[in-house]
Amino acid sequence: MNFEELKNQADEKWNQLNDSPTPVIRVGTAMCGHASGAFRVIQSLRNLLSEKKIDAIIEEVGCIGLCYAEPLIDIKKQGQSRLFFNNVSVNNIEQIVEEYLVNNEIKNASTLGYLGEEGAVFNEPDLNTLPGIALQERIALRNAGHTAPGDIFQYIANGGYSGLNKALSTMEPSDVIEEVKNSGLRGRGGAAFPTGIKWSFLVGSPGPTKYILCNCEEGDPGAFNDKGILESDPHTLLEGLLIAGYATGASNGIVFIRHGHDGPINRTEEAIKQAKELGILGKDIFGSGFDFDIEVSLTGESYVAGEETALMEAVEGKRSMPRYRPPFPAAFGVWGKPSNINNVKSLSYAPEIVSKGADWFSSIGVNKSTGTAIVCLSGDVNQPGLYEVPMGLTLKQVINDLGGGMKKNQTLKLLQTGGPLGGVLGPDSTDIHIDFDEMRAAGAIFGSGGIIVGSNKVCAVDLTRILVAFCQFESCGKCFPCRLGMEHLLEIVERISNFESQPGDMDLMKSVGGTMESGSLCGHGQLGFGPIRSAITHFEEDFRLHIEEGICPTGSCNNPKIVPKNTRPYAQDFVAGVKND
Amino acid sequence: MTEKINLTIDGKEIQAEPGSMIIQAAMDNGMYIPYLCYYPGMKPYGACRMCVVKAETPTPDGSYRSLPGNPASCTTPISEGMRVETNTDELISLRKGIMELLISEHPHGCLNCHRIDLCGPTDVCLRHVTVNDRCVTCPKNERCELKDTVRYMEMELTTPLTYNNRHLPLEVKDPYWDMDMNLCIVCSRCVRACDEVRVDQAITLKDRSGRSIIGTSNGISLLESGCEFCGACIDVCPTGAIVERDYKWDKAETKTTTTCPHCPVGCQTSLDINKRNKLIRSIPVREAEANQGMTCFKGKFGLDYANNRNRIKTPLIKKNGQLTESSWPEALDLVASKFSQYKGNLYSLISSDRGTNEDHFIAQKFARQVMDSNNIDFSSNTNTEIFDNLSDMIGHPSATNTIWNLLKSELFVIISSNITEQHNVLGVPIKQAISKGAKAIIIDPRETDLSRFSDNWIKPNINTEHILIGGIIRSIIDQSLEDHDFSTKSCENFDEFRNSIWDFDLSRVSKETGIAQDEIQNLAKLIAESKSTSFLYSLDTISSELKSSASTSIINLALLTGNTDQPGAGIYPLFSGPNEQGARDIGCTPNFNPGYNHNPTSGIGLKQLNEYVNQGDIKALHILGNQASIGSESGKTIKSIVDKVEFLVVHESFENEYTDSADVVFPSSLFAEKDGTFTNLERRIHKVNPALGSKFDEDEDWRILCQIALRMGSNAFNYNTSHEVFTELSTFIQTTDEISFDKISESGQIYGVERNYKFKPLSMTLSKGSITTDTFPMILTRGRILEESTVDAKIELVNDKNSITRNEIIELNSQDAADINILEGDPVKIIGENFELSGVAHLNGINSGTVSTTQLFGSLIEKVQEHKTEDPMLYFDELTLIPVRIEKP
Repeated sequence: MNFEELKNQADEKWNQLNDSPTPVIRVGTAMCGHASGAFRVIQSLRNLLSEKKIDAIIEEVGCIGLCYAEPLIDIKKQGQSRLFFNNVSVNNIEQIVEEYLVNNEIKNASTLGYLGEEGAVFNEPDLNTLPGIALQERIALRNAGHTAPGDIFQYIANGGYSGLNKALSTMEPSDVIEEVKNSGLRGRGGAAFPTGIKWSFLVGSPGPTKYILCNCEEGDPGAFNDKGILESDPHTLLEGLLIAGYATGASNGIVFIRHGHDGPINRTEEAIKQAKELGILGKDIFGSGFDFDIEVSLTGESYVAGEETALMEAVEGKRSMPRYRPPFPAAFGVWGKPSNINNVKSLSYAPEIVSKGADWFSSIGVNKSTGTAIVCLSGDVNQPGLYEVPMGLTLKQVINDLGGGMKKNQTLKLLQTGGPLGGVLGPDSTDIHIDFDEMRAAGAIFGSGGIIVGSNKVCAVDLTRILVAFCQFESCGKCFPCRLGMEHLLEIVERISNFESQPGDMDLMKSVGGTMESGSLCGHGQLGFGPIRSAITHFEEDFRLHIEEGICPTGSCNNPKIVPKNTRPYAQDFVAGVKND
Repeated sequence: MTEKINLTIDGKEIQAEPGSMIIQAAMDNGMYIPYLCYYPGMKPYGACRMCVVKAETPTPDGSYRSLPGNPASCTTPISEGMRVETNTDELISLRKGIMELLISEHPHGCLNCHRIDLCGPTDVCLRHVTVNDRCVTCPKNERCELKDTVRYMEMELTTPLTYNNRHLPLEVKDPYWDMDMNLCIVCSRCVRACDEVRVDQAITLKDRSGRSIIGTSNGISLLESGCEFCGACIDVCPTGAIVERDYKWDKAETKTTTTCPHCPVGCQTSLDINKRNKLIRSIPVREAEANQGMTCFKGKFGLDYANNRNRIKTPLIKKNGQLTESSWPEALDLVASKFSQYKGNLYSLISSDRGTNEDHFIAQKFARQVMDSNNIDFSSNTNTEIFDNLSDMIGHPSATNTIWNLLKSELFVIISSNITEQHNVLGVPIKQAISKGAKAIIIDPRETDLSRFSDNWIKPNINTEHILIGGIIRSIIDQSLEDHDFSTKSCENFDEFRNSIWDFDLSRVSKETGIAQDEIQNLAKLIAESKSTSFLYSLDTISSELKSSASTSIINLALLTGNTDQPGAGIYPLFSGPNEQGARDIGCTPNFNPGYNHNPTSGIGLKQLNEYVNQGDIKALHILGNQASIGSESGKTIKSIVDKVEFLVVHESFENEYTDSADVVFPSSLFAEKDGTFTNLERRIHKVNPALGSKFDEDEDWRILCQIALRMGSNAFNYNTSHEVFTELSTFIQTTDEISFDKISESGQIYGVERNYKFKPLSMTLSKGSITTDTFPMILTRGRILEESTVDAKIELVNDKNSITRNEIIELNSQDAADINILEGDPVKIIGENFELSGVAHLNGINSGTVSTTQLFGSLIEKVQEHKTEDPMLYFDELTLIPVRIEKP
C-alpha cells in the first residue's frame, strides 16, 4: 500500500472518531496514570457505562504531561471540545459520568479545562492557558495524550509517517543526514553529541547488515521521558528509527527496553506488529526499495546496560558489561556489525525535523541547544510532570511555572539533575538555563532530562548516600576502579551519615573519586564521584555538621535509612511511594 | 611479511607487529607495563586499568593528538608514529590508586611489607598480620602475579582504606582444584579462558558490582557445569584464587619442559619438580606450537603416577615360581643366554606405545638384527586400518596438516571420534572455529561434546558409515560438485574411482544407512561447497573389518573435494598412543623396516600374536613398558597369552598382570625420567626430557635392549646417549626436510613428506557380522557430554567431595519399546556383559535395535579420581558400543 492510500484511510478513521455521535473518553494510561490508578478507573468506567446503558468509546492514550493531575480523563462529545477531568478515581468517576454524560452539567466534578477548536465547554478555561501546557512546545510528545498509542491510523492521521514518506520519496540518505546535522539536534541520552554527526559515522561502515539501536534502558531514578514516549506514542520512535535507518543505510533496528517496563514494551511491540502489517516495516517500504526491520530486545537487570557497549553485550545475551573502545560501535557493534546507538528522544525528533525542516527545529531553543527539552519534573513541587519545553527556560521557570512552585511551607534547597551520576545544584542555581553547555559549566548535566527538586527537608548527605548507594549497586563489576571505588565511597558516605566519620574522610573520598574518574572503563565509574563532588561543593555545611557536630540539619539521617537495594520494578526491598495496580 | 609499525614507548623507538596492542608491543620489545587482567593470547578485556598509559598519535599537519583520558594499553592498538608514555607521575599515582583499591579486598599485610623477603613462615609478625592473611600461607606465594605487581609498584605500607576480606568459605569439594575466592581479584582471566579459549563456559562472573565473583555457570559444582577439567583457568589465574589441589603448597625447585605421554597431540608441558624430586604441577607451555598453552585433564592432572613409589626397583628373576630381586648383570646374562635359544620366528617383541622413538628404533633393530625376527610391533597398534591406504592414496601414513590449521577450517567432517576426550587439544581449535562460524558434520552414533557444536549430527545405522560416505561421494559426483581440476589433474585414478561409485545408488545407501536421500544430498552440498574442510576420523565404533573401507572412502572424499593440505583443509587419522606415528616411522611394525621400507618377510604383529602363541609358533615374548596398554584391547590379548609362552621378559615400571607371569622383569623408566623424542600426530618431533631424576635402579628400555644385544655378541648397539640413537634413526625418516636436533629440542619440528594423490575404487561392503548375540540382542551407544541443563542433576557430598547423581535418560526406538511394553518415562534397566545401567525410558526415533544414553563427563571424572591404580587415565572408560538387553526392573 502506498502512503497516500494509508493516509486517506487513516484520515477517514480519525474524522469518524472526532465526529463520533457517541462520546469519546480518553484516559491517560502512561505510567503516571497507571501508577495513580488509571486502569482501575477504566474498569469502573466500563462497569458504570454498561450499568447505565450509555454508549461511549474509551480510548487509552498517553501522558499529556500533567502527571500531577493523573488519572486524567477527557470526554469529547460530538461537536464539542474535549473536557478534562483531573485526579479521577474509582470514587469520583460515577460523579463525572452522572454529571457530564447523563445530565450534561458540571457541578462538583473537578475539571482542568477544555481543549479543541469547537470552543469552550461551559465556562471551563482553555487548557492551553495552564502554565504547564502553555510553556510547552511538543515535538517528540506531540501526540502524547491525544492519540491512542495502540492505533497506528491515529498516528498517521496526525501526520505520522509523512516524514518517513518524504525522506523516502524526495530525499537522498545524505540529505536526511544533512537535515539532521543542520537542525543542531544533539543526543538526548546525556552526552549531547550531535546526532547527525553520529549518524554519519555509520554511513561509511560496510554493510549489508548494520544496526540502529534505540536505547530505552532509562534507569535513572526520576527520568521517565523515554518510557513516556514509548507508552504515549511508540510510532514516533519507530518512524525516527526508520528515518535513521534510511539515512545511515542500516538494515535493522533494535529497541532496547529495560526488562520489567511492561507498558513501553507492550506498546512498542504492538506498534511494530501494526507497522509490519501495513508494510511500513519490512521489505520495500512505500515502494521505495528500502528494507528495514525493528525488534525489541530486553535488558537484564542492570543500569549499566544503558551504556552503549554494555547494551550491545546485553542484546547479544551476555552479561551487560561495557566493552573497551576502540573499536567503536560504528565499526564493531552488535554481533560485531556496524551499529549506532541513539536515545529514544533523539530519534523521536527525527520525523518532525524531516517533515518541517532543519530551520524550523533550530529556531526552537537557544545557543547550541536546539529543539526542546523533555523535562521529567519530580520532587517537592506542586505539579510534577512530563514537560516538553523549548531549550533555554530557566530552572526557576521550570520550578515555578511548570512545577507550580514549591510545596506548601517548603523552600528550595537543591536540584538533582541528569540522573544519579549527574549532580546536585544549590538554591542559587535557579537562573541557570536549560542548555547542555550552560548546565555542564555549572557542574551539573541536563542528561536525560530528570530534574528532582529537593526542599529544605532534604539532607544533602542523606541524598548523596542514596545516590552513591544506587551507583554502587549498579556498578557492573568489570573494571577495578568502579567496582572497588564505589564500595569505598559508599562506605565513607555511610560513615558520615551515621555520624561516625573518620579524620581525612573527605580527602579520602576525593582521592578515591579521582582514581575512579581517571581510571574507569566507562562513564559509570568516570562520573561515579559526580554526586559527591557536587554535593560537597554546594552543601559543604551539611557535611560539616555531620562530621564535626554529629548533627543532621533535617534529621533525616537520624531516621531508619532507605537503601535502594534493588531499583527494579518488581523489587521487594525498595521503599517506594506508589504501588502498582 | 607485513610491514612492522614504528612507535615510541617512553622515548625508546621500537617496531611491532601491526594490529598489536600497546602492551603487547612493549612486551615484545622487552618493556614492562604493569597488568593484571590482560593475558597474552587472549582477547583484551580492559578491566584492571593497571596498564593505563598516555598516548598520542601524529596528525597530518605534523602535530600530535592525544588519545582521550588514560587509555589502557591492553585495549589500545598501536599506530604508526604513536608516542606512548607509561610512567609519568600522574600514571604512577593513578596506578597506585587503583592498586590500593584492589588490595583493600585482598589480604595485603605482607604484599607491601618491606620485610617480605626476610620473613620466614614461622616468624612472629610485629605488624600483627594474621596468619591467614600472610603471603606464606598462600599456595601461589613466590609465583603470584599480584604480589610481583604490588612490589614493582612500590606500594605504601599502610592504606587509609578499610580492608574488606570477603570471608567466603573455601571451595574444595570439586575434583582437582581448590578455589579460595577471598584471594580473587575478579580479573575474569579464568572466565575468559574457559569461554574464549576453551569455548566451554563452565565458569562465569556471578553477581554484580562489588560482589562480583567467579562461580559455576550451571548448578553448584563443576561436575555439572560443563567443565572439562583442562585446568586452563588455573593456568591463567594471577593469584592463589584457583589452584591445583595436589601439592598446592609445594614450591618448584626445577621446571622442565617435556611431552605429555597421554595422546598423540604431544602437548608440551612444563613440569614443576619440588626439592624432594616429586612432580608437583604440570603447566602447559604457551609458546608450544602443538598445544599453544592448552592441555587436557590427562595432561594437567593425570601425571601424578610419576610420583608413585610402588615401583619395580631392581631387576627381578623368577626363581621357584617367585619373582626375586637380582642384579642387573645376573638378569641381563640370563636373558641373553635364554634369548639365543629363541632366535628367529620363535621370538616376538611388543614395544610400548609410550616408548620414545629411540626405544622403538632400538627395539626393532634388536628384534631384526639380534634376534633375526620380524615379529615386532607396538602395543597400541590395534587400529591399523585407519592408516590403511594413506600411503597409497596420499603418499604417507600421517595427517596432512597441523593441529592449529584446524582453526582456519570452514567445515569439519568428524567420523566416529570422541575428540574432546581422546585428543582433547584438537578439540580446542575446532570449537574455536565453530564458535566463529565454521560448521561441523559429525557422523557418530554417540553423543559427544562436539556433536553439541554441530548442526549436522548424523547417526547412520551401526557399521554403515562407509556406505554413507560413499553415498555422499556419489551425490557430489551426480551434482558435479567435485573439485574437478584437482581430482583429474593432481590425483591419479579418477576415472576408475568414478566408475566404482555407481554401486552407491542413493536409494540403496539411504536404505542401508537409515539416512534420508535429501539429507545425503545436503551433506554432499555442504562438503562440496565449503572452501576448506578438515576430515578427522578415529573410527571408534566401526567394526575392524570395515575400518579399511571407511578410511578409504574418507580419503577419497577429501581428494574429490580437493581438501588435502591447504590452509584449513586436511585429513587427520586419529590414533591413540602418544608416539604411534614415531613407532610407525621407525619401523617398529612387523611389515615395514624403518622409513616405510617394505619388508618382504613380514613378521607376526599384535593382531595375530594370540594365534601364533597358542599354536606354539612363538615361544619367547618380550614386552616393553606396557602398563600403558593394560586397560585396552591389546592389553586383553597380551594378558591371555603371557602364561602360554616358554620365556617371558617384561620391562615394566609397576607390577601388573604381565610381570606376574614374567620370567625376568627389568625396571623401566617412566616418561618423566626418559630422554628421547616423541612424534605427534602432525609428524612434529618433540623432545621428551627427564624432568625427574632417577629414583631407583630403573633404566630406559633402549639402554636395556642395548645391554642384552651386547651380551648376545652384537657390536651394533654401542650408543652412549639417546642423541646418538636419534642421529642414527633420523637418517631413516623419509622426509623432504633436514631434521635438526636443535630445532627439535627447542620447539619441536614437523618433518615434511612427499605426497602423491591417488583415488582408490570403492565397493559397497556390508557388515558381515554383528556384535549382538541372542542374550544381548541390542546395541548400546553411549555418549558423554560436558553439560546438560535439561536433565536434573543432584550434587551430594560423599566423603566431603561433590558427587553427581542423575536420573539417566535411556533413549529407545518407539517400536522396540512397544515390543517389550515400555512406555515413555518408565524405569528401564540395560544389561550387558559386565555392564548395567538403570534409567528412565525416553522414546524417540533412534535407529531400531539400538539403545542410547548420554552421561556427564563430570561423572567420569569422579570415577577417574577415585581410581586407585597407578595411572587411572589408562582405565578411562572409552565409549565403545556394548551389546545389551533391556529389562523392566
